[in-house]
Amino acid sequence: MPIRETFWNIPQWAETAQYVLGFITAVVFVYGIVRRVMRWRQGQPDKRFDHIGARLRTLFTQAILQLRVASEAYAGVMHLAIFWGIIALLIGTALATLDWDVTHLFFGFQFLKDGFYIGYELTLDIFGLLLMIGLGMAIYRRFILRPKRLQNPWPTLTRDDAYVLGMLTLIAITGYLVEGLRIAVTQPSWANWSPVGNAIAALFIATGDPTNRILHLSLWSFHILIAFTLLASLPFTKLFHIAAVPTNIFFHSLTPAGTLSAPRSADSVGVKAWKEFTWKQILDFESCTRCGRCQDVCPAYASTQILSPRNMMIKLETHIWEKANGRQLHSDVITADELWGCTTCRACSEVCPAFIDHLSSFVDMRRYLVAEGQVDAQLQKALANLGRYGNSFGQSERMRAKWTQPITSKIKDARREAVEYLWFVGDYASYSPTLTEITSKTAQVFQKAGLDFGILYDGERNAGNDVRRVGEEGLFETLVEKNVSVLGKCSYKKIVTTDPHSYNTVKNEYPRSETSEVLHYTELLDQLIASGQLKFNKRLGYKVTYHDPCYLGRYNGVYDAPRRVIEATGCELVEMPRHGDRAFCCGAGGGRIWMKEAEVKERPSEARVREAVSLDGVNTLVTACPKDITMFRDAVKTTGNEERLAVKDLIELVYAAL
Amino acid sequence: MNIVVLAKLVPDLVEELTIDANGNALDSSFARLIINEFDDHAIEQGILLKERGGGSVTIIAPDAEGADDVLFTAAAKGADRLIKIKGDFSNVNNHALARAFAKVVSGIKPDLVLTGVQAHNDLDGALGPLLAELLEMPYIGYVSAVSINGDKVLIKKEYPGGLLAEMDVQLPAILGIQAAEEPPRYVAVSKVRQAMKTSSIEEQDASNLDPCGGSAIGRMFQPEASSHATMITGSPDEVAEKLVGVFKELGIV
Ligand code: SF4
Ligand code: SF4
Repeated sequence: MPIRETFWNIPQWAETAQYVLGFITAVVFVYGIVRRVMRWRQGQPDKRFDHIGARLRTLFTQAILQLRVASEAYAGVMHLAIFWGIIALLIGTALATLDWDVTHLFFGFQFLKDGFYIGYELTLDIFGLLLMIGLGMAIYRRFILRPKRLQNPWPTLTRDDAYVLGMLTLIAITGYLVEGLRIAVTQPSWANWSPVGNAIAALFIATGDPTNRILHLSLWSFHILIAFTLLASLPFTKLFHIAAVPTNIFFHSLTPAGTLSAPRSADSVGVKAWKEFTWKQILDFESCTRCGRCQDVCPAYASTQILSPRNMMIKLETHIWEKANGRQLHSDVITADELWGCTTCRACSEVCPAFIDHLSSFVDMRRYLVAEGQVDAQLQKALANLGRYGNSFGQSERMRAKWTQPITSKIKDARREAVEYLWFVGDYASYSPTLTEITSKTAQVFQKAGLDFGILYDGERNAGNDVRRVGEEGLFETLVEKNVSVLGKCSYKKIVTTDPHSYNTVKNEYPRSETSEVLHYTELLDQLIASGQLKFNKRLGYKVTYHDPCYLGRYNGVYDAPRRVIEATGCELVEMPRHGDRAFCCGAGGGRIWMKEAEVKERPSEARVREAVSLDGVNTLVTACPKDITMFRDAVKTTGNEERLAVKDLIELVYAAL
Repeated sequence: MNIVVLAKLVPDLVEELTIDANGNALDSSFARLIINEFDDHAIEQGILLKERGGGSVTIIAPDAEGADDVLFTAAAKGADRLIKIKGDFSNVNNHALARAFAKVVSGIKPDLVLTGVQAHNDLDGALGPLLAELLEMPYIGYVSAVSINGDKVLIKKEYPGGLLAEMDVQLPAILGIQAAEEPPRYVAVSKVRQAMKTSSIEEQDASNLDPCGGSAIGRMFQPEASSHATMITGSPDEVAEKLVGVFKELGIV
């Protein structure tokens, strides 16, 4: 009768030693975990216990099913194989313990017998194989393929990586050997149900007893020893991600991605030393598995290599464990260049399987730099202009609506008369001389659709989205106050914006009372087309591709509306390899457009233009953000693609198709 | 070291300037004021000196729209004392302004007075030398570096054509700052707000604003658009030929 004979060939002393070892392991393990948690608790408070239901749901989909991990083929298969392999083997071990040390010991019966036992053996055998495959893939990638994103800034990390992979592999191999030897000696009739174990057994049958028994005992002891060692070392190695990542997923921010949290100190000075981070931000650093997915999608890394979100996390993690040695968070650990390099495109957080919120800590550190006046001359000028004139162009607010002058039918002043749509035009669309033509087309399309709309004329100020992300919270507050006080005096139903950046902050960060419904103009056009209010006379028939602006797509999930509008104009849309939530940032966001450009081989905007040019038959790059237009039109020139690619705002297509 | 910095506000050239009905002054109702850029450098230099060698920095500004902002911003950078001179300073000349400053400054007994070397509205001369005369102190202008050395200051002065001189001058003295050693720093809005809460502006009256000694403005007018330049194009021979034609036309040859 098939039955599990746990501790076959294991003398009493070895069994006892195992329990002693288990106890020591538990003590070390608990100590390690407590030590980590104590570190987190040195951070600042942050309330993350709301919406338990939603948190548990994400925990299930992302920590158990690991959907985001699975979104990459190789890494996904690899990680899921290792994960499920280990989980199954752990469950198997737990069942065996239950079977032997509880039901057998106290109640005198075993449930690991007969058909159930056979199924158990088969399942574990298969999952063991799965684990081996996963580990093989990991070893092949890490030590043979050696992709850039897995390269470590210092060697201790590489040793950590190797340790974990090595130990897991040893455990898996010795596990199989122990099984094989047991089968070789006992030769049970159900051995075929352990295909791998049985195959190994075949190698040993010839060796015979007592060699096999001795071998079995030694390998079993070794297996137990490394298994416990690995378990005890879990809180001290990268394996700790097994605990940290689910915790981080559970506590991840549930507020919209576009809502940045305000500084915690009243004087907005941001984070100067690591203990000023919140416990959740510290948990972020601790959760990083160094997988490098963020680095792969980071435009700042791609263009300058100064900033890698992965290395930022690694450095911060290491820093919080440093003994007091005088190293300062700013400059010694994280440099200003790294912080200013970030375009706040959110590509990193979008792909991070650990759900790390990179930007919350980056902006907190930027806030400190701003408070210290450590901004480059160009940014300083832009901020001074924004403070003084409410726009980064350093022009008088009286010039803000100058673009309306050529338009024959006057646009309503929303401050004077009630309108249905209040159009928040934004700085670039208002002031940039190269964009006013597009802005005026937007106005004309609105007029042709018979929209009841108005603008704020010289009452509008920069919405402050990027001011906030630069870390100048005080200025952001001032801009919000000014805009809100003007909006408060207007009568309107909805706000529509040109700029996805304004859209983001007005929608997600402005006081609710003034911003009941906020639409991006692409969403409004989509609605107007759907309702039949906007009709096209022409089908353009261009073959175009579309660039998702970060603050429209990743930040606010508006992917479909602009695509539907493009199709409605009779254009054929061909997607770039990186589109939707993987769209590659143009490099202008987060205040980068105001800063001095770093020396680069290839700007993000140039890489993006090349990506568009490489599409077969596509001659138009469409986007829906004034900053994108500025960046891409420039990049088309610098890459010498003026003949091949036209950069158009979505509204230009709509205008042409009317 | 008792350092005094004078800061005045000038019309912001971002706005289109208009001339008032009398035709001899700017229409101040349309003008927006901004700190004189050189004075901003003078403030920075004052703060740098304090950071390096200690002492206190007093900022004095004539009353005008935006003067409080200028003063609080300086406080956020590290100025210790803020003084606003009350009076009607719209359209006063630098002679009157210098007298008003002199009265307040002499009450403070400074070791060093810093002012911007010039301003775009210095129609009757720069402020520094006028003040030096009134306070009977030595004056050096176009200064781009200052270090204090006992009872003297060692300065770098810029001359046209890239010439640089180093000289020292006995304190107390007045310096016209061309550029601070570091560009004026950025102060975060939150810091300015904090300064508004923690520092206060003293007000002193400018008894009478005596403009005498300054030049009187007869008429102010917008620059008249000059006729456009003609570009001569073509091969060198053609250009030469056309040029000779032009000369002949003008009666030069
Ligand atoms: S937000 Fe974008 S630029 Fe910034 S670190 Fe992440 S991926 Fe890089
Ligand atoms: S931050 Fe996230 S994506 Fe980047 S290396 Fe760490 S775990 Fe991977």
